[in-house]
Amino acid sequence: MIKVTIDDKRLEVEPGTTIMAAAEKAGIFIPRLCSHELLEPYGACRVCSVEIEQNGRTKVVTSCNYPIRSELTVRTNSERATKTRSMVLEMMLARWPKVKVVKDMAAHEGITQARFSHPLVDNNENACILCGRCVNICRNGVRQNVLSFEGRGSSRQVSMPYQQVPAECVGCGACEWICPTGAIKMIDDPNGSADWDRIRRAGMVVTRELILFDDDQCQMRRKGTSNLVDVMNDYDLLPVHNYRFGSHPDAKFVQSEVFASKFVTNGLPDGCALGCDMACAHAADDFELQTGPDKGKRVIVDGPEYETVGGSTNMGIFDPRWILEMNYYCDNYGIDTISFCTLMAFVMECYENGILDKEKTGGLELNFGAKDAAMEVLHQMARGEGFGLVAGQGIRRMKKKFAEEYGADPKFLQDIGMEAKGLEYSEYVTKESLAQQGGYGIALKGAQHDEAWLIFMDMVNKQIPSFEDKAEALHYFPMWRTWFGLNGLCKLPWNDIEPEDNAQEKEPHKVPKHTQAYCDFFAGVTGREVSADDLITMSERVYNFQRIFNLKMGFGTREHDAIPYRSVGPVTEEEYLSRQDRYDEQLKELEGDSVAGMSTAEKLQMLRKHREDRYAKLLDAVYLRRGWTSNGIPRIETAKKLGIDKVDGLVELLKEHGAH
Amino acid sequence: MPKLDLNNFKQEAQKFRSNLDAIPSSLMVCHCTTCLAAGAQKVHQALELELEKRNLQNKVRVKTTGVTAFCAMGPVVIAQPSGTFYGRTRPQDAPELIEHVAEGKELERLLFKDKDGKTIARQEDIPFVAKQKPVVLRNRSVLDPTDINDAIAHGAYEAIFNLLKKETDGEAIIDIIHRSGIRGRGGGGFPAGLKWKSARKAAKERLEPVFVVCNADEGDPGAYMDRSIVEADPHSLIEGMMIGALAVGATEGFVYIRREYPLALERLSNALDQARKKGLLGKSILGSDFSFDIKIHRGAGAFVCGESTALFASMEGKAGEPRAKYVHSVEFGFRDKPTVLNNVETWANIAQIINNGPEWFASMGTGDVSKSPWSGSSGTKVFSLVGNVEYTGLVEVPMGMTLRQIVFDVGGGVEGGRKLKAVQTGGPSGGCLPESKLDLHVDFDTLQEAGSMMGSGGLIVMDERTCMVDVAKYFVDFLMGESCGKCTPCREGLSCLHEILHRITEGKGKPDDLVLLEDLGAMLKDGALCGLGQTAANPVLSTLRYFRDEYDAHIEQGRCPAGVCKALIKYTIEPDKCTGCRLCVKPCPTDCISGEKDKPHTIDHGKCIQCGTCMDACPEDAIRVE
Repeated sequence: MIKVTIDDKRLEVEPGTTIMAAAEKAGIFIPRLCSHELLEPYGACRVCSVEIEQNGRTKVVTSCNYPIRSELTVRTNSERATKTRSMVLEMMLARWPKVKVVKDMAAHEGITQARFSHPLVDNNENACILCGRCVNICRNGVRQNVLSFEGRGSSRQVSMPYQQVPAECVGCGACEWICPTGAIKMIDDPNGSADWDRIRRAGMVVTRELILFDDDQCQMRRKGTSNLVDVMNDYDLLPVHNYRFGSHPDAKFVQSEVFASKFVTNGLPDGCALGCDMACAHAADDFELQTGPDKGKRVIVDGPEYETVGGSTNMGIFDPRWILEMNYYCDNYGIDTISFCTLMAFVMECYENGILDKEKTGGLELNFGAKDAAMEVLHQMARGEGFGLVAGQGIRRMKKKFAEEYGADPKFLQDIGMEAKGLEYSEYVTKESLAQQGGYGIALKGAQHDEAWLIFMDMVNKQIPSFEDKAEALHYFPMWRTWFGLNGLCKLPWNDIEPEDNAQEKEPHKVPKHTQAYCDFFAGVTGREVSADDLITMSERVYNFQRIFNLKMGFGTREHDAIPYRSVGPVTEEEYLSRQDRYDEQLKELEGDSVAGMSTAEKLQMLRKHREDRYAKLLDAVYLRRGWTSNGIPRIETAKKLGIDKVDGLVELLKEHGAH
Repeated sequence: MPKLDLNNFKQEAQKFRSNLDAIPSSLMVCHCTTCLAAGAQKVHQALELELEKRNLQNKVRVKTTGVTAFCAMGPVVIAQPSGTFYGRTRPQDAPELIEHVAEGKELERLLFKDKDGKTIARQEDIPFVAKQKPVVLRNRSVLDPTDINDAIAHGAYEAIFNLLKKETDGEAIIDIIHRSGIRGRGGGGFPAGLKWKSARKAAKERLEPVFVVCNADEGDPGAYMDRSIVEADPHSLIEGMMIGALAVGATEGFVYIRREYPLALERLSNALDQARKKGLLGKSILGSDFSFDIKIHRGAGAFVCGESTALFASMEGKAGEPRAKYVHSVEFGFRDKPTVLNNVETWANIAQIINNGPEWFASMGTGDVSKSPWSGSSGTKVFSLVGNVEYTGLVEVPMGMTLRQIVFDVGGGVEGGRKLKAVQTGGPSGGCLPESKLDLHVDFDTLQEAGSMMGSGGLIVMDERTCMVDVAKYFVDFLMGESCGKCTPCREGLSCLHEILHRITEGKGKPDDLVLLEDLGAMLKDGALCGLGQTAANPVLSTLRYFRDEYDAHIEQGRCPAGVCKALIKYTIEPDKCTGCRLCVKPCPTDCISGEKDKPHTIDHGKCIQCGTCMDACPEDAIRVE
């Protein structure tokens, strides 16, 4: 802490605190114009000039951007400081005599009339005073770089490229919002929304938080979703060796900082959605490929997203360059990185267990961590050759083949083959989160987290302790997230950035202020007023209809919501022993001291029974909450309530499956 | 081109020297921008043709050199080994020149004659040259800047060779630089040793790369020191940067040079290419484990880009606008990495300091820098001596020489023997010093105390015909055009200064204007964001300080004492002097002079635009300005 004296008030501040921030802490207001809480200090208007004294020397500095690094005396109203400020404001008043903010600030310094005429006097009340706020929020806040200054010196003005509105301007309105003089006016609504202004205002809520808090929250703008790698590893949730374990010491080699600082060089939005100021998608550029048809080329690689990194640790691969290479080829081949990684983790476990051998893999040694071999399988999959032909069929068909042709134990394969409804699991270890097991198991399209990502809420924040709480969450969140899909919106600005006071909300996990922002978006676009509950009802209709569609196609009952045991608990003794304290503790709570004398195999069996029961109970609770039968089929009254019962043959189909 | 390494460097250098010695007689044709503009290329061609004609190629060599620095005398040819100086040469002089040189004789009619008509043959004896102390310009009229072998023969890369050979540690190099006391020649006068030390430390602490950058964005009107150094001796700059890189641990260097310097750019690119081919740049320099290369960044000529943070912004591809330097650019410079930025002249001194030792460097100049580089100004400084001075050109003198010595002893005094009014130093944002300050010992600190500054070394001599208000207006107008417009004080302040000064020179000044000028000046000094703005009022403040009576004359009496400000002057014809020769009538653009032949003429003041053409045309000195 550093001692500072500001106008005879003494205080201590962290090194690097700006004088302006320190003054605010001391209750002293320093006038300002280009400075704004959402902007990096720009130091252009010079209205916030103060005089400082350090080691006996005095000078005038701008308080907005002067970092305090050693003991300092500040005078905000010394003669030099006041003279500088007054003269700056007098010149501005001479140039823009009718602009309110200039008049007010000058009057505050006792100036009502400039002593001289300005050659460029502008009598417009809403004249641009060149403070640069709009340019800076567009560039650093919204990150669109649509606005800029052009011209030099006295011909400086705010402009857009070639003085035309470019396609990159999405009309977010941040510039209008932050302009102190009203010089910028939004005049156009290219999309014909019902209430464009309402959309802008709602958007500004999120924009403001992103600018202010993202660096301290998820760092989506700097790192993107890969910020999760570090968190997941810390909480034992990062899949390692086909979901056997949840963390690994080598995870540090692939943590988000490695990508952010070494590979992602430009730090610009990739244009995933034009005008999105979260801009979480990043890219590593000038990356030289080591394998495959594009070997030796220097390319731009998207991401990597969290799942791509988590998938690699799941294979026991902790090499950032390999991850980028795999990501590039998956993207170019049209292969999903999650499916590839998860099925390869399964292949590797089969290889380590002797179910596969070099003969069956065409000579590839596919132990965990075998990165060169894994990359070769990826190329083979794309070429439709060799072992790639087998792996490329996915886990569900591999399980069948390995059992039927290689004589593997089908039960073991079922336990470790991480797929549900034929879709490979995404990259979270769910053993300790019952709600997330449900999130994967019940999801309509298979084991994907984008329907219900409850793992943190459940395990870390412990916001949904009971079965009923979990069931409620497994009703609300899948519906809520479905709503994003229905409207073509991204979910990340909803809860990957949170308002500063979100923790004080009654239901913080729902991020109520942002839910309201989405209501405003909807109403602003359509002109139809909606409440947060209305949004859920919209989704319920579609969600139930999708479930019934699955039913019609031969899926969509309780048996299809089953999940592999690896996602519920430890399959092998090795797994059990790796987290023995945790499991022993849990068993002791359930079964009492009798556990002490049992063998690991016995304990493994007992834990399994308990956890499978718990999953079954969860299904019961969720089905009940959703208005479904215990077989997971929407009840007829549910269909009626949602107004989908009029669809031809729908009620009959439900009846056929025992719904009533 | 065979690569050089630590084992063969000495022999190769010796070989280049022997090649040179094989033909001792040479004619050095100055190929600086000034001499080229005066026709040096044609003189060079004529000389070569003549050589061929006489089949003397093995006896006399015609050689391209960078800069002779005596720019008033271009195109300059110097005969070696005698060192005979031939000024204002023409192609038709070639036969005689060759003839004389081949026979070891002097060509009398092209020799330099001083003011008293005395002939001086040797360059070294010409007062303009004799009073100088060339360190940075030591290779002028000697070196062929397009040939690296010639540079090596004259000692280039010896310093870096020795440092690498002895595996000198970076800190030891910084210590040498620090002890030499050398301060940045770009204007700020910040001790180079301290700068290097901070950059090295920041890079070490943060485990980040560090860059060395050369500022060759010289933009002051009338200043061309840096351009000439690059044109004359590009390898001195490259070697200096290599030493800097070795000292701070950099592998990448940049030269930021303006596009308006095409010849310097060409010479530098060529020198870099040759150095790379010789193994003096790139990976494993001279076979050592030191790797370093230099890229050229072409600036678009904005004056503000000479300011470090604006220069870095420009190099990063952004608009060249400065940012606050509360966080030092040596720690967070180019791409936010530690960066050593020095100007051309500073870099060009470095190898000499290594070769001759810090004590040698510190022995030149003012103060005692053995304790701290802040307590004096060591070494030499190159000035571009221009304006109303007898001999214009580049002068390199030890720090501490007085302005009087520079103007009168080196520069030959005021042009036409007129009275000196002021010396303007430090470029547009420097200040004007009056005659009474001529005995100031020129160094970083004294100039600053006197209200001017060293700047990068512009030195403009102004005679009695100069109006100081007009001078202030000229510089303010220049700076107004070059202000980036980011901060209010500079953008609005210069507009306001401009408005007021124009008013005064038009005779519309108000009594309060001087107070206003001072208020605006103080605000700029304290309030502006970058060095350009903070010093922008210097021309106004220094002229107000030393020539206030001229302002008063404009405002109170509506009179321009120097007879410059058009709105305040009137040209009249003195009837008793006018012979009616009519020589002034034809050139007058507004036909305002009338009268009968052989009788005194008169000027119609309603039509006269005060252009002064008549005054220049009059052979009788009959036209008066009041």
